[in-house]
This record gives sequence, C-alpha cells and structure tokens, in this order.
Amino acid sequence: MADYIEQALQRPPANAPRWLDLFHQQGRRSCREKALPTGKTEDWKYTSLRALGQRDYAGQPAPVAASGDLQRHYRIADFSSHTLVFVNGHFSPALSAGSLPAGVELVRFGEADAGQAERIQNWLGKVASREQSVFTALNESGLADGIYLRVTKNTRLETPIQVIWLTTPQSEAFTVSQRLLLVMEPGSDATVMEYFTSDAAEQNSFTNGITELVLEQNARLRHYRLHAEQEQALHIGGVHASLERDANLDSFHLAVGGTLKRIDITVNHNGPGAHCNLQGVYLLRNRQHVDYHTCIEHRVPRCTSDEVFRGIIGDAARAVFNGRIHIHPDAQKTLAQLSNKNLLTSDAAEVDTKPELEIYADDVQCAHGATVAQLDETSLHYLRTRGIAADEAKVMLSFGFINELLNRIPDAAVAAHLRPMLSQFFSGEQHFVR
Amino acid sequence: MAQQQLDHLIKSEYAAGFTTDIESDTLPPGLDEEVVAFISAKKNEPDWLRDWRLKAYRGWRKMAEPAWAHVRYPKIDFDAVSYYSSPKAMADRPKSLDEVDPELLATYEKLGIPLHEQEALAGVAVDAVFDSVSVATTFRHKLAEAGVIFCPISEAVQEYPELVQKYLGSVVPQHDNFYAALNSAVFSDGSFVYIPKGVRCPMELSTYFRINEAKTGQFERTLIIADEGSHVSYLEGCTAPMRDENQLHAAVVELVALDNAEIKYSTVQNWYPGDAEGKGGIYNFVTKRGVAHHNAHISWTQVETGSAVTWKYPSVILRGDNSIGEFYSVALTNNYQQADTGTKMIHIGKNTRSTIISKGISAGRSSNAYRGLVRMSPRSTGSRNYTQCDSLLIGDRCGAHTYPYIESRNPSAVVEHEATTSKVSDDQLYLCQQRGIDTEKAVSMIVNGFCKEVFKELPMEFAVEAGKLLEVSLEGSVG
Repeated sequence: MADYIEQALQRPPANAPRWLDLFHQQGRRSCREKALPTGKTEDWKYTSLRALGQRDYAGQPAPVAASGDLQRHYRIADFSSHTLVFVNGHFSPALSAGSLPAGVELVRFGEADAGQAERIQNWLGKVASREQSVFTALNESGLADGIYLRVTKNTRLETPIQVIWLTTPQSEAFTVSQRLLLVMEPGSDATVMEYFTSDAAEQNSFTNGITELVLEQNARLRHYRLHAEQEQALHIGGVHASLERDANLDSFHLAVGGTLKRIDITVNHNGPGAHCNLQGVYLLRNRQHVDYHTCIEHRVPRCTSDEVFRGIIGDAARAVFNGRIHIHPDAQKTLAQLSNKNLLTSDAAEVDTKPELEIYADDVQCAHGATVAQLDETSLHYLRTRGIAADEAKVMLSFGFINELLNRIPDAAVAAHLRPMLSQFFSGEQHFVR
Repeated sequence: MAQQQLDHLIKSEYAAGFTTDIESDTLPPGLDEEVVAFISAKKNEPDWLRDWRLKAYRGWRKMAEPAWAHVRYPKIDFDAVSYYSSPKAMADRPKSLDEVDPELLATYEKLGIPLHEQEALAGVAVDAVFDSVSVATTFRHKLAEAGVIFCPISEAVQEYPELVQKYLGSVVPQHDNFYAALNSAVFSDGSFVYIPKGVRCPMELSTYFRINEAKTGQFERTLIIADEGSHVSYLEGCTAPMRDENQLHAAVVELVALDNAEIKYSTVQNWYPGDAEGKGGIYNFVTKRGVAHHNAHISWTQVETGSAVTWKYPSVILRGDNSIGEFYSVALTNNYQQADTGTKMIHIGKNTRSTIISKGISAGRSSNAYRGLVRMSPRSTGSRNYTQCDSLLIGDRCGAHTYPYIESRNPSAVVEHEATTSKVSDDQLYLCQQRGIDTEKAVSMIVNGFCKEVFKELPMEFAVEAGKLLEVSLEGSVG
C-alpha cells in the first residue's frame, strides 16, 4: 500500500491545468506527512488496503474511444437528464448529452477560464479537507480534471444532472482521481446523480472519487451516489457536504460489493435549521467488501438529521458500517437519528457495525440503533404456509428489507431502474453489471 | 430558579474523603524488578508466583499505555507511585478482629462498614482491604462450614496454591493490556473466593477497598471461582481520601463460572472523584473479565460515581453453550470527571445470550462514554444480544458518548443495539412541580427512575445505598 502511494505521488497528473499545481503540491505534502492507515488505525480497523498492493494501480488512464454500446451500463429509462460521461477519468463528449438550462454554470476543471478557475479555487478542498484522510490528500495530488457545477441563486433545476464515471479495463492497471464540486447558491434547487459503473469485463482500475457539496441558505439538493461497478473495480472515496441555514440535503447511496469499496460521507450542519436525510443500501456477496463511514456533524442549533443504512451480506463477504453523530457544544435543539440494519445470509459472511454518538449539548434528542440478524423465521414460515417456495420467500423478504428504502427515493424513474437491478442480485445472478 | 436548585443538588461533599492517621510501611516510589521481588518476598510467595510477576513486569516494560479511550489526563509517572503500603499494625498478621488496630476498625466504621460480625449486616461477609493489605475478613468460619473459601488472595496463595496457580491469569492473562500487566507484576491484595460444586453461597460476599496512604497506588486482584452448579453473589465497594494529587488504582478481577454456575458481581465504585475544579481524584484503570462455561451465568452490575478518570470494561467470554452474560451499569460523572466504560460480550458457545443495559449520566463539565463490544463468533449459532445505552445530560457543558462495536460472523445470531440521549425535560420537571414536588426532589426522582433497571439488579441494601450515592454525587450539578 505504501508502495502504491509513493508511486502515485511520483507520477503527477498529465494534462492538468496549471492553476491546479498548488493543489497538487499541497496534496502531495499532506499525503507524505500522514501516517498510512493500518489495521490499528481506528477508521480502518475492519478494512484492509491489501488489494491496493496486489496490482500496480499507479498507472495513468488512457483516453478511450467512446462507444455508444457503453450506454447500456448506466442508462436509466424515463429519466431525462443532462448527462456528463467520463470514461476512465476522461471526459467523453460523444456520450454526454442534454443542454443545460439558464442559471447553471457547469465547467470541467480542464476547461475553466481564469474567472471560473478562481471560483473553483474558492471552494475546492474547503469541504473535503485533505487533512481528513490520506486518500483525500492523494486525490488532490492527482487531480487532472473534475467538474465544477454551480446552481445560481433561486434557480430551480427541473432536469436532473447526471455524472457517469465509467471504467473499462486497460492493459495496465490505473488510478482515476475524480472530483465533483457542487455549489448550490441560496434558494436553488436541483437533483444531481453520481453513477459509478463499468463494463462487465474484469476491471483493473482504482477510483479515488471525492465529491464536495456546498448548500448555501435555503438550497435544496437531491443527491444520489450509486456504485454498481464490476466487482474487481476498487473504490475509495467520499461525499462531503456543508449545509448552511435551512439548507436541505437528501442523499441516497447504493453500493454493490467489490474487492474493496470504501465510502466516507460527512455532512456538516453549519447553519441553523439545516436538515439532512441520508439513506444507503449495500449488497454484498462472494468475497466482497464494502465499508461505509458516515459522520454527521451538528455544529449549530436547531438542525435535524435522519440516517438509515441497510445491508444484505451473503457468501464470504464482509460489510463495515460506522455511523457517527457528533453534536458540538451549543448545537442545542438538535434532532438526530441513525439506524443501521444488516441481514446476514450465509455462515461465512461478516458484518462489523459501529453507530457512534458524541454529544456535547444537553437539549438534544439523539438516538441510534443497529441490528444484525438473518431473515425472520416466522415471516418465512408465514410465506411458506401461503404456498410460496422457500427460495422465493427469501428473495421476497430480502427485497422487502431494502425496498423500504427504495420507496423513499424521490425520483420514481430511479427507483424503477434500481428495483430490477437489485432483484437480479437476490436471484443470485453472478454478474450484477449488465 | 430551577437551575439554582439543580445546582445545589449537584454540589455536595464527598463524605468518604477523610484520611486515617496511621503508621504504615510504604515502599519508596518507583518500580523495578527489585520492587516486584520485594512485594513477592513480603508476601512470602512461592517461586512460581514471583517468576509470574517478573514475567508480567518485563512484558509491561515493553507495552504502551492505551490512548484510544475518550479521556484526557496528564501522563502518569509510574516511578512516582509507591507500589506497596501496609499499615504497620498489620506487620504481624492479627489472628482475629480483636487484634486489629482499633484505628483501622474505626475507619471502616466511619465508612459504614462495621467489621464486627455481631454488628455487621446480617448475611454479608466482608473482606476489608486497606491500601495494599487485607485487614479483616468476617464470617470466615461460617462460610467454611459451607465449604466456601473467602480470604485475602495473599492467604490463598499460601493455603490453596493449586487453585490459585490453576486460575490466576486464566481469564486476564499477564499481558492482556498495559494496566493488567502492571497489576500482574505488583498486585498486593484482594479477595479470593472459591465456591465448591453445587454449593449456594449462604451469604453475600463483599470486599471493601480503601486507599489511605498518599502517593500510593492500589493494585488489588480478585479471583472468584464458582465450581460446577454453584452460586455466589459478590459486592465490591471503594473509597479514598480527598487529595489534590491523583492516585492510581489498577485492579484486575477474574471470574470463572464453571458449568451451570452463577456469579453475580456488583460494584459500587465511589473513589474520590476530585474536587469541583477537577483537581485530584483517583485514576481508576480496571480490567474485569469473566469466563462462562456451559450453562453458566455471569452478571456484572456496576454503579460508578467516583474516580477522576474511569477506564473500565467488565466483560464476559461466553465460552460454553447456553451461557449467559449480563452487564448493568449506571455511570455518573460530574464536574471534571471522565469515564470511558462499558463491556465486552464475546459469544463463542452456541445459544449464548447477553444483555447490556447502560445508563450514563453526565453533569457539570464531565465526559461520560459508553464503549462496548459485542462479538458473535462463527460458532455462536442461535446466540442473542440485546444492548440498550441511554444517556442523560444535565447541563450544557458536559459530554455523553456512545461507541458500540458490533461484530457478527454468524447469520443465526441476533444482535440488537439501541441508544438514546436526552436531558431531564422541562415537561417532566413541570409535571412533578405541579404535584407539589420541588425541583431538587423531582430531578433526583427522574434520575433514579432513569437508573431503575440497573438498581433493581443490585442486592437490596446496596440499591438503597446506590440511590443515595447518586443523589449525593449529583448535588450541585443539576442545572
């Protein structure tokens, strides 16, 4: 792992705009100063980074000739959106589609003019601090391109914006350092989806993807981060949000398992009255590994947060969940809730969950809960008495377990897209990615 | 107004804070192999035990203090602590209570623990440990009739060496952790209990620990063995004088519940917590663990109100099939006290069950953390855990934290954890006041109600005591 980081640092990103140089330097420095995570590092106690050392992932991705065929890996029926597609980290104009409405500024870092570069620099790294994690620092040191999206004041965006990060194998294993910076100005409203996917071939990529969400006063964002890559694709990344007064974030997460998948989610309530809804589903089998670390920071009074994560873990897979709620002094009248439920469906599966509360204010209501169990025997029995075969009953109950969360997805087309995908998972089809 | 009354309620004095003026033999501060050998020689220990201590000491030298707990305190200078202190009068071990220094007896009298059997609480046998030695053990003969061994561990080493050798370190190995290793090297006294097969111990057993001498640490070691089908209930209480400097208490408690045995271990911990400015108090770094064999039952109940810093995780290893582990805890912190406490339930056997009920109350500028681990191993088919952690905050400058680790590797095992945090609500107070109950009383009622699930697990006399203790510890904090 140390070798990987050293090599990645020695290969500065090619074709990056000059104004990113400072970020590269700072990222590199911060990366070198940090101790590398080991099994003794609290945040990495249950997740091994061994997979990163098994191939030389420090290679640079080459541009790929766009093929319309790739669309079937991410297209969502009846979901019209403005779509940006990146293949192996390179922007693909041919695959990208849709026109942006007025009031939205969308720039790739590589194409930003001086004014835009300045605006980007104002925000870049402000929400996702390089001090948080060695991988955030590494992302910063390797940034070649990224997306800056600004929804201007009081703009209501009717059409969702979809960012597709697709990987496809190359002769040499490689790293994609990816960044999305979204600034929602006061009173704006939008839906943004990040979709990490790949083609069905065995992957040799490592994606280090960081998303920064800035929600200014009264801004509303519906956000998705979906991970449906082929299982050999490695991913370590995170979503970091900052919520100003009365801002509202609704964020939905999905991860199907992979060799190594680690996603950190931080939501900072920085203005009173902000609210965040965080939901997630993870589904694992074979020897897959998914690790979600979430952290809800309540820094100011009168904010609310509601977090629900559910997972189903089969075969010899291992799921890790860490959900932290941190109520700072003076963050009175906070309401914060977290629930994490896990279903184990095989003798060799493992789940390690740790909901955490850290509270420094008294007039708050906080609760968290976590459960680990298998499917309820009485429910199974009930279905069988109605003539439903055992296997089918299991699928029904498992699907019901996560369908509760799918039902809360605000966009019906997205829920309709995910349902057949997930039922495919339960029916035991080997390849989740079509 | 309510605030002031609450404040008053939290500000009461530590009643056990006096010192006993008594001559003592105290080792000069510092720790090396000679000190370890000295302690061993002083207690006339066999070679195996001296070597065992030395091995622990050598291991300890290579270990680092744990830094993961949610507590902050200045680094401890282990060479500034005296590792052995004994009241002079104890040099020739008194044969009976009549020979014990009256000053010592008066100390326990003052603490509400009369050691004269005729005056003692009926049905409770007490082992009183003063600094590094046990001064008296009551009701020994009555217990002996039932075949129960209840004596200071130093005596057990002489009289029942085979039992001690077999079980010492079997639950908490010498190098289990930093403080357990330190304790293994220098442990002075503590209680030893053996309940023979099929015996139900005729009375409650209890140990009362008292730190008296300045600049000493207390390192007691308790070993309880409940042989097949036996039953014992054991209580432990602790106090210390008020001093400006911090004192170290690093104890180890090992419980062995063999097949079908039951051990109920209750603690009322009231070490000196330091003053309202956070000066002084005991560092309470304790390792407590039990092993439950087939169908055995181990239950920990603790009421933690004292100590400046608490680092304590009474645990159960559920080794045998159908074994049961329980942990009931009330931890109260006030002023600048810090507590990081909880439990570990390691499910190994099939159909094992564990229950964790933890109530944390933080007031003043204190910090109170629950840290727990529930592990379902691949073999633990059909096992069950239920955990409930509730925190109550009194005041807006304190902290309440929950860090539950859940590791499950068996699909048929069910683990449930829930935690809540709240404060004494204005509605509750208002309702009480409306019924003519003043604020102070109302808060105390609400807090007592909050802790009820745990108090009901304590033996009756101690439940009353614990309720009072809570009231006193909270005095001046409410608000």
